[in-house]
Amino acid sequence: MRIAKTIIAFAVLIAFFVLLNNSQGSIPPLGKFLNPFAGFWRNGTKLDQVEEILDVKGLRAEVKVVWDERQVPHIFAENTYDAYFAQGLLTARHRLWQMEFQTHVAAGRVSEIIGAKALEFDKLQRRRGLLLGAEHTIKAMESDPETQLTLQAYANGVNTWIESLTPATLPLEYKLLNYEPETWSTLKTALLLKFMAWDLTGRNSEMDLSIIRSAMGVDFVNRFYPDDTPRTDPIIPAAKPWRFDPLIPEELPPSFEPQFVKDLRNNEPDRDNGSNNWAVSGKKTTSGFPILANDPHLGLKLPSIWYEIQLHTPQMNVYGVSLPGAPAVIIGFNENIAWGLTNAGSDVMDWFEIEFKDESYSEYMYLDEWVKSDLRIEEILIKGGEVVLDTFAVTRFGPLVSFGENELENGHPVGLAMRWSAHEPSNEMSAIRGMNLADNMETFFTALEQFDAPGQNFAFAAKDGDIAIRHNGKYPLRGKDQGKFVRAGRDTTVEWREWIPYDQLPVISNPWRGYVSSANQNPVGKKYPYYMGWEYDDYERGSRINDRLGQLKSITLAEMQTLHMDNFNKQAELMLPFLLKQLKPDDLSTVESEIVDDLKLWRYVSDPDQKAAWVYKQWWLQLEKAIWADELTLYGEVRELPTRSVTCEVLLKKPNLVYYDDITTNEVENRQNIISNAFHTTITELSETLGPYGESWELGRARGTDINHLLSVKGLGRTGLYTGGGSGIVNASKKTHGPSWRMLVELGGSPVAKGVYPGGQSGNPGSKYYDNAVDAWVRGDYYDIHFLSSPEIDKNSKLTLTRLRNYQ
Amino acid sequence: MISILITLVLVFILQLLFYSWWWIILIPLVVGFLEKDSTVTAAGGNGLGVFVLWFGMSLYQWTFGGEIIVGRIAEVMGTGSGLVLALATGLIGFIVAATSGYAGFSLRKVLIKEYQIS
Repeated sequence: MRIAKTIIAFAVLIAFFVLLNNSQGSIPPLGKFLNPFAGFWRNGTKLDQVEEILDVKGLRAEVKVVWDERQVPHIFAENTYDAYFAQGLLTARHRLWQMEFQTHVAAGRVSEIIGAKALEFDKLQRRRGLLLGAEHTIKAMESDPETQLTLQAYANGVNTWIESLTPATLPLEYKLLNYEPETWSTLKTALLLKFMAWDLTGRNSEMDLSIIRSAMGVDFVNRFYPDDTPRTDPIIPAAKPWRFDPLIPEELPPSFEPQFVKDLRNNEPDRDNGSNNWAVSGKKTTSGFPILANDPHLGLKLPSIWYEIQLHTPQMNVYGVSLPGAPAVIIGFNENIAWGLTNAGSDVMDWFEIEFKDESYSEYMYLDEWVKSDLRIEEILIKGGEVVLDTFAVTRFGPLVSFGENELENGHPVGLAMRWSAHEPSNEMSAIRGMNLADNMETFFTALEQFDAPGQNFAFAAKDGDIAIRHNGKYPLRGKDQGKFVRAGRDTTVEWREWIPYDQLPVISNPWRGYVSSANQNPVGKKYPYYMGWEYDDYERGSRINDRLGQLKSITLAEMQTLHMDNFNKQAELMLPFLLKQLKPDDLSTVESEIVDDLKLWRYVSDPDQKAAWVYKQWWLQLEKAIWADELTLYGEVRELPTRSVTCEVLLKKPNLVYYDDITTNEVENRQNIISNAFHTTITELSETLGPYGESWELGRARGTDINHLLSVKGLGRTGLYTGGGSGIVNASKKTHGPSWRMLVELGGSPVAKGVYPGGQSGNPGSKYYDNAVDAWVRGDYYDIHFLSSPEIDKNSKLTLTRLRNYQ
Repeated sequence: MISILITLVLVFILQLLFYSWWWIILIPLVVGFLEKDSTVTAAGGNGLGVFVLWFGMSLYQWTFGGEIIVGRIAEVMGTGSGLVLALATGLIGFIVAATSGYAGFSLRKVLIKEYQIS
């Protein structure tokens, strides 16, 4: 009996050990996690404390770090190596888990962390070729000694921090997911850059448009998916003459109907990944010096996508935001210049249907011959130790992303290959370093020459008075509409063979109107000789910014701050009066009449307390769906709808369009019916979800903004934020997306700058610097930026100093 | 009473030095094995020792810099409050250590019978 009891006791003990030492589904290993000596209890504000002296192995000289009241590090180093080493060390101190997790996402290694449920994602991610692109890029980067030094110094700094960690000081997410950080490599930085490139250029409607063209005809596509977005005020004023001899692209073969209908839009980046930037000449400012403004719109997450930093060496003094995982400053300013980025939106990704010989995908048809694919065998490690092998083929048209579902009439399987500019070797790191060091427009543009992907609009301002904007990147030379539809990857005519020369890219400096701006709209007017794409953003934000900048005269930073937070809805101004006229008062219920009265009184400003703003938005979405979704539900999916501004034009100018009829009903709807029905449906649906018409319908409550944790763990994000703005509005805040960094810089004797991002410097959810700036961001407040020229600090200030002391 | 203190002190020192949670298995196992009195003392003494240590340390961490993280994890785990989380931490420590203490004690009894260990 005693023996049996002992055996049972030990069996229970072993079971406890196994249960508490390992994750159970999404539950962390409770023994480790609750352990008050090393579990989550240790991830408190004690980790926020900064040391007066920190002994660091690997520095070449002492580095001084001034911490400001928001824990932005201001790094003062005697040489470049130490500056980037310290940047790596301090960024890892605050953001290690985030920087590593993002590179795991880019490389298709999420299954290692969360298990087999991420396997399909990992396979897709690898086939998209982010790792392939990163491998090409790291070779290019490491062939340049300065870039190599920058990347290696940063990696050494990160690894020094990793080595200093104990089980107690591991970031919380490692404890939640039960794994440990691995050594940081320079490849991870390249992966991070590809991750950003994917986020900004990975959205593409070629498949949908090919399907729509097959089903609805070429005229439908030409009419409702035009290359020029209606009402657009291009980034480079349309009147600008282009004085160069353009290259002539080869004539394209006749259009091609792909066999594939698979929808690859899953996991694609948000359509509104965009931004605003502008630079105003000193002629229009109160101070007489240029002002630069930027607010990149990205998915909002905690930890924040940006990390604020100042880097000072004898050669450089730069401040701005960096990407955790990459050295240097991506958006920022130095003593002489300031710059900001918006997404270019030009097409840098094309899809090709490839005919394979058989299901080994080892040979494909090219120029009437079978040529060999480059087969890559990917080892995908699953949490727990299992390894899954996945083979994918790389063709001269890019990696094969989708395959195995269709075959041609001759029995040959087909697949879709993706050619993407981010697959090419490039050295953006060198460009970014060059931007950080630049002191005028010429040196800045010289640096940009190496910034291939993702394509960006770089707004620029300099102390010497220059302002400029450049639609920068590596863009293939295309025939008209090349890249708008899937092409047959069989011959040379559709291949990317040449690029638009760098000196022929759209650019303008010091225009007579005294400002430059971009909001992801079409960069050029019809005079520009190259076709660069068609999926640019609608006109509203760009138009509103230009309206305001045109009107303003003695501009101050405060006015630019107001413009960043501008909630004016230009599309509502255009459409709402027309839509309201279509409603018949007799058809309205009491509550609908009340809502219509509010809509009539609304001045098109989407402030968070506006109920009309949310009703209008929902009405519009309902209307778009009502007009298009019946015809464009093809192969079981609602395909890409025409853009907002195309639908506006249609509604305003085409009273009798056949597509107003809902083909799923027996009645024949017209424009008035469909607008009116959409309104009734909207109010019914909103009443069901929000309750009686009242406070809960306010934009800030009905939508608001949620900033979720990167892993979407409830409790680690900030949700229900009372925000206004929206898509097509300068303040582009949406439910989970919006201005990820708002920055204003006035150049002059010493730059005066303000900034805010919706998060905080620390990635530790237990830190007071994790989300300390969120409320300021919601209110539209900014922090005064400390642009320091020396590490000497006043003892009465809120600044503190850490000396990073080298020891061997 | 002695076993409570011995377990508490030993686990405290070892966890302070080496962090691992499973010291709350190993030490009670040994202390339980060396316990001569009763099952209740072996299990309860070890369990209470670890309960006091883990609950106390949780309260300490919570009080000194842990307000934010405890609030967040309480929401993540749905416990509502930090106190429940600290009690749950202590309780898990108690159950594991008590089981371990009992297993050690039980093993000793088996060995005494088989090999006449005194």
